Amino acid sequence: MKAQAGKYGLKRWVVAGLALAFLCCAWSLGLTPAGLVPPDSQHWDRTGEFFRAALNPALDYEDENVPADAEPIWWKGIKGVFLTLKFAFGAMSLAVPTALVLGFLGSSAWWPEPCGGKTRLILRAVYFISRLFMSLIRSIHELIWALLFLSAMGVSPLAGMIALALPFSGTLGKVFSELIDEEARDAAQALKAIGHGPVQIFLVGILPRAMPNLITYSFYRFECALRSSAVLGFVGIETIGLYIELSHEEFYYREVWTYLYLLIAMIVVVDLWGAGIRRRLHTSTGGCAI
Amino acid sequence: MSGLLFVSLMSSSFQIDQVTCRFGELRAVNNVSFEIRKGEQVALIGPSGSGKTTLIQLLNTMRVPDEGRLTVLQNEVSVLTPRELRRLRTTLATIPQHLGLVPNLTAIQNVILGQGGRRGALRSLRDLLFPSRADALEIHAILDRVGIEEKLYSRVNRLSGGQQQRVAIARAIFQHPEVLLADEPVSSVDPARARDTVKLLCELSAEHGFTLCVSLHDLALAREFFPRLIGMRRGHIVFDGAPEALSSEDQRALYELSNEEMMVDA
Ligand SMILES: Nc1ncnc2c1ncn2[C@@H]1O[C@H](COP(=O)(O)OP(=O)(O)O)[C@@H](O)[C@H]1O
Ligand SMILES: [Mg+2]
Repeated sequence: MKAQAGKYGLKRWVVAGLALAFLCCAWSLGLTPAGLVPPDSQHWDRTGEFFRAALNPALDYEDENVPADAEPIWWKGIKGVFLTLKFAFGAMSLAVPTALVLGFLGSSAWWPEPCGGKTRLILRAVYFISRLFMSLIRSIHELIWALLFLSAMGVSPLAGMIALALPFSGTLGKVFSELIDEEARDAAQALKAIGHGPVQIFLVGILPRAMPNLITYSFYRFECALRSSAVLGFVGIETIGLYIELSHEEFYYREVWTYLYLLIAMIVVVDLWGAGIRRRLHTSTGGCAI
Repeated sequence: MSGLLFVSLMSSSFQIDQVTCRFGELRAVNNVSFEIRKGEQVALIGPSGSGKTTLIQLLNTMRVPDEGRLTVLQNEVSVLTPRELRRLRTTLATIPQHLGLVPNLTAIQNVILGQGGRRGALRSLRDLLFPSRADALEIHAILDRVGIEEKLYSRVNRLSGGQQQRVAIARAIFQHPEVLLADEPVSSVDPARARDTVKLLCELSAEHGFTLCVSLHDLALAREFFPRLIGMRRGHIVFDGAPEALSSEDQRALYELSNEEMMVDA
């Protein structure tokens, strides 16, 4: 009884502390409900226009200067959606193999046994360096990587892809290494005991074991990559985000909504597809987390 | 005649001489000596925590002795390079207590990995994806022998505990080992099946001529099937001999709580 009262007492303090922290932040940021209200009539108009446009997306260009024989806007939007898909897929194709290598180096299930002295020291160093490297690259957001890469290498799809792939390999690699270490010890030990080498253990004992979870998680990250690719349009990579940004700059809100709806449609389709894959893996392997 | 004598002298699977294996202060295996000769069938008995698993891990070279000398198939383990160690291990089959199967691979894929130590990474990967006809036939025959031939292409995680155990045995047989070590192979199956499994292991050992060393919790099973028992208690060997020689005093020494242990329990 007493212990429980103590526990609830602690919880109360944590909640109170969090509330206090929120109030401090709000105060120091100058948050007031008035921040949501547009400051003047010009902004009021624009807000209204923006939300009205949601009901009335553009079926044709709002810009009169677009030549009449240009491709229709929905076609351009669909192309933008596919560019986004292509871009995200390209980035994931870089990120997944990189993450597999990093995840391998950042896990210990494949270490030889017995493993003493110098070998162990080297393996531990490799382990910590790859974990450190993974946390470094994922601690910087892809948008910042993109700004850095684009200013260094110019606006090229490859630079954008690398910028997206970097933090994604960091996150994927971390999850991979944890999956590997948590799930596959038994089989890895058994294969070690009958003479399999480290890389072999990884390939035939650990990878197949972790595969359903790896696929599920990679697909989830692919959905994230899609959203991020759209965002990278705002720094000049040719995805649907670029079209949104260009129309938005000219206050063509109805065009913005056309692109947004196409983007949402794609994400819904991909999410459904991902859910299907998860369900199938789930039922066919007798359960996998994530 | 002298040639035969020489061979029989050479033909020991394990020579273990005053071997100790420590975990920190704890001596899980404490100053243990014995020899197991080729083709012998030995049951390792003793209460849990007596060091059976650790001893098996010494015998399959997954651990190296902290003290003493261990010779496995004429190789002194402590002087082997990692490469030589791996080569040696390809001739030692181990069935760990939790079997160590890859659960989302099929039975045939798991069994084929028994040869992986000899075949290397790329060949093993190919074996998983496109098993050769010869291997498939051999594995089918082995699964038939252990009684689950219809499970050749079933995923292991869809099989019952007993069937998974058979897959692990089949993997060991496909390895064509000189020695088979099994750590409490019957700890997770019902008594009737436990008896079948131990019987099967002994028959396979006789058919293929490999040395068999099985750790068992169940003294009755050990007495029924094994011509030699090695009894362990707190890292020490307290009995080594034929089951007929196991006196009730020996049994007490093996399994009964001593006064001091009762004190600790109370
Ligand atoms: N990896 C380990 N680390 C520390 N202590 C261990 C480890 N493995 C086993 N032990 C200890 O060594 C002793 C013998 O264990 P074990 O060989 O597993 O016995 P058994 O298999 O007969 O039950 C036990 O006291 C156990 O707690
Ligand atoms: Mg044990």
